[in-house]
Amino acid sequence: MPLADVAETYTDLVTTVFSSAIAAKAWFATAAFALAFVQVTTAARIYGRLRFLSERGPAIARVHRWSGRIAFLCTLPVFFHCVTILGFQTPDARVALHSLVGTFFYGMFAAKVLIVRDRTLPAWALPTAGLTLASMLGVLWFTSSLWYFTNVRFGF
Amino acid sequence: MRRGWTPLLVGGAVVVCTFALAQAEIFAPSSPAGTETVGDVSRGETVFQRECASCHGAGGSGGGVGPRLVGTGIDAATATAIVQQGSGVMPAGLVSGRDEADVVAYVVSISMP
Repeated sequence: MPLADVAETYTDLVTTVFSSAIAAKAWFATAAFALAFVQVTTAARIYGRLRFLSERGPAIARVHRWSGRIAFLCTLPVFFHCVTILGFQTPDARVALHSLVGTFFYGMFAAKVLIVRDRTLPAWALPTAGLTLASMLGVLWFTSSLWYFTNVRFGF
Repeated sequence: MRRGWTPLLVGGAVVVCTFALAQAEIFAPSSPAGTETVGDVSRGETVFQRECASCHGAGGSGGGVGPRLVGTGIDAATATAIVQQGSGVMPAGLVSGRDEADVVAYVVSISMP
């Protein structure tokens, strides 16, 4: 299959559910952003914050891990369309900021995953990496999905 | 090397790879040889959503000030002329250069009956 056809096939695939490839991205990114919120709140509970959340222990750790995995999966179609089809663009400040933060997003994700497993690092490293990653996802959502929902249309 | 640097180094490598992938745009549809004015449909969709969808509706489906474009059979020459000269309440030159070529390619792709 020629490389150019991959883009067409992807667009055909997502438009079986969504009105356009952009709409699909907006909703996948929204799901990832919502799950990032779950990630931050469950991580805070694991660290002994947000005591109004009743449970602390294996269940909340499981929710944290699975919300992270599903959030990561939700970002993959967005990554595919943004990086391999559209590329790095700077036509205006919003798109330039989105491109810049998007370029660093998976690097931060890889670093965070490694920090989780590295017990030699200081205690502040993991929450800092997690919050940075969630903030980056927030910036990406505000500069893409929110823009799409408010400037183009709110719908599938 | 101290182990603590590993996340930083791996993360940096991933950033560089992502940037290289983004610059390569490996799956972006390319123009056939000798037809460099042909636009890129995927890029055109992005430009369309940004510049045109508020009037022509998402994906050119209508519902705004501008007419529905889906399935109307507009050819590239007509679309280019309308973009460059305007039509009705649509101002001339809303997009130009590469954006114009890309958005025309997209409009032609959605207007095929």
